[in-house]
Amino acid sequence: MSSRPRLRALLRGLLPLVALLLATPAQAVDGNALLKQLDRNLEPESYEMYRKLINVEPDGSRKEYVLYTVKKGRDKMVALFLDPPSEKGRATLRLGDNMWLYIPNVGKPLRITSLQSVVGGVFNNADILALEYSVEYHVDQVEEDGNRYILSLKARTPAVAYDRLKMWVDKATVLPVTIEAYAASGLLIKTLHYKDIKDFGGIKRPSVLETDSPLYKGYTSVMLYAKIKARVFPDEVFTLDYLPRAGELR
Amino acid sequence: MPGRWLVFSTAVFLSASAAAAEEYRFDVEAFEKKPFEVNGYAELRAERFWLDRDTALYQLTFFDQEAHSALDRTTGALELSGLYRRGIATVQATGHAEAARDELGSEGETRLYEGYLTLEPATGTRVEAGKRVLRWGKGYAWNPVGFVERPKDPNDPELSREGFVTLGGSYTRSLDGALKTITFTPLLVPTSDHVNEDFGPGDHANPAGRLSMLAYDTDFDVLVLGAGARSARYGVDFARNLATNFEVHGEWARITDATKPVLSASGAVTTQTADTPSYLLGVRHLSERDTTTIIEYYYNGAGYTESEMRDYFTFVHAAYDQFVATGDSTSLERARNVQNAYVRPNPMRRYFYLRVSQKEPFDILYVTPALTVIANLDDRSYSAAPELAYTGVTNLDLRLRVFFLAGGRLTDFGEKQNNRRIELRARYYF
Repeated sequence: MSSRPRLRALLRGLLPLVALLLATPAQAVDGNALLKQLDRNLEPESYEMYRKLINVEPDGSRKEYVLYTVKKGRDKMVALFLDPPSEKGRATLRLGDNMWLYIPNVGKPLRITSLQSVVGGVFNNADILALEYSVEYHVDQVEEDGNRYILSLKARTPAVAYDRLKMWVDKATVLPVTIEAYAASGLLIKTLHYKDIKDFGGIKRPSVLETDSPLYKGYTSVMLYAKIKARVFPDEVFTLDYLPRAGELR
Repeated sequence: MPGRWLVFSTAVFLSASAAAAEEYRFDVEAFEKKPFEVNGYAELRAERFWLDRDTALYQLTFFDQEAHSALDRTTGALELSGLYRRGIATVQATGHAEAARDELGSEGETRLYEGYLTLEPATGTRVEAGKRVLRWGKGYAWNPVGFVERPKDPNDPELSREGFVTLGGSYTRSLDGALKTITFTPLLVPTSDHVNEDFGPGDHANPAGRLSMLAYDTDFDVLVLGAGARSARYGVDFARNLATNFEVHGEWARITDATKPVLSASGAVTTQTADTPSYLLGVRHLSERDTTTIIEYYYNGAGYTESEMRDYFTFVHAAYDQFVATGDSTSLERARNVQNAYVRPNPMRRYFYLRVSQKEPFDILYVTPALTVIANLDDRSYSAAPELAYTGVTNLDLRLRVFFLAGGRLTDFGEKQNNRRIELRARYYF
């Protein structure tokens, strides 16, 4: 047998494999790249924004809070309460996994834990100071269901508030639709629903985030977003010394 | 008929849509930054003190008054804070007015807690002048390194306090690497007959400073107060999260030439002077069930020993017996002359603090029960205070607390004038 037929036979054998290798990247979804794209679609890497947080109780009564938030890079963030007067001036700082809370009466920032509630209700500190999804989680698995991707996310470190997330992502917009947050025990802690896509001057994203929790039956928390703008602040803004003056940034 | 039904359905749909839009309305323009800002709170506090007539501090306080077994006190307070900003300048002020009334009479006072000017030419560079509250240290109940502040009440560590007139500034730099932030805060606390007269005697500049760092995910401070109206003192503190739900903090201070009056059982008063260390070690933990626990151990080197405290209480009891027998109050007056040192909160050496609070038990939102225990480890007396806080009404905080004080004869908490106290506080913010 000459070498030519042997080469042909080898090529014939390799062809399906080469075809498979070439086809795979085109068909499979890179979950982590998708998550990064989703983060960018939600907000710029460095920004300022306003949020209204509404706790709705079973009888329909509400408590409302207004926050001003600034973020820089992957893990620097400050959230300042503007309203109601009982919370005004309260500010939280996040640098990576380190978090501090400043209460005007206490007069100095104190270290706090990520799950600590800054105000009562379903939202905790980790929700208010949440970083980008791709910073806190990696994608374990990607499934497809019609016009949605379903991402299974695992926390990168134990410092992250929720151990696992199950995220439904709209294929066309690459924006989250529903997220289920689970504890390490597998217990469903809360479900987040992104709604009402609006144009924030270049960023088209949901303007409402509704949260309910089986731990707080009948209670709902709603986050409304406004004035999301790309803005880069000096690093010195994200320091304990500056925290009492966070209101001057606006 | 179908036409009417269509009109009705459309009307219902439109009104439902309008209601939904109304439901999630966010008028962000209402929160624009303004040059003027004013806010504050009004507070009403009702307290009942159950007095123990056999204790040294009851006898010292009430020996020349009608006997009481209980006191009912009502206190009203108003605190106003204002701010004006223009360019790089900000002027801030906080005033506090309080009036109280009980069976012994009524009293009231108005004080300027803060009033100062800040100039910030660049982010991270600041100059400040005026009356300012500075809070140094990482401790929750006590701060051995709080060199330039009025002592905090461990029963209410978050209460606002009056500041001192200072001239200072701060310079902050953020860095890449293990050392992430460094801030230097130099300070002068001038004293004279007219300025900061309660900081200490004499005309002094009283230089002080703090160097703060965030390195290896740990907060560190080095703090100094130079000699002047107070003796020189220096210290360090730190705070770090060992886990996301577990924080540890500590402070250490050395006070040079710390003085204290010591009254012997015979009534002789001497002044002791020594270099004394003070320190604090504490932890803060948050459980999965939202239970926050704060534990602190405090060693107060400048405090009284158990035998010094027993001598003082023994002297007061003897002086009171003498007064009852003869009407002569000379000895009681002598005890009163040094009571500021002996009667202040936590005047002894070794204390333990525990606070356990449970956020929203049984899923009842906005309700937080807590228990605070302050124990004197030298004489094993203690104060235990269960409380219930409710924040369900916007801008209104309600808090009910009961204090139980326990301890043997001649002990710190056993000789306080009251052995129980109940307090209901309503605070409305605006």
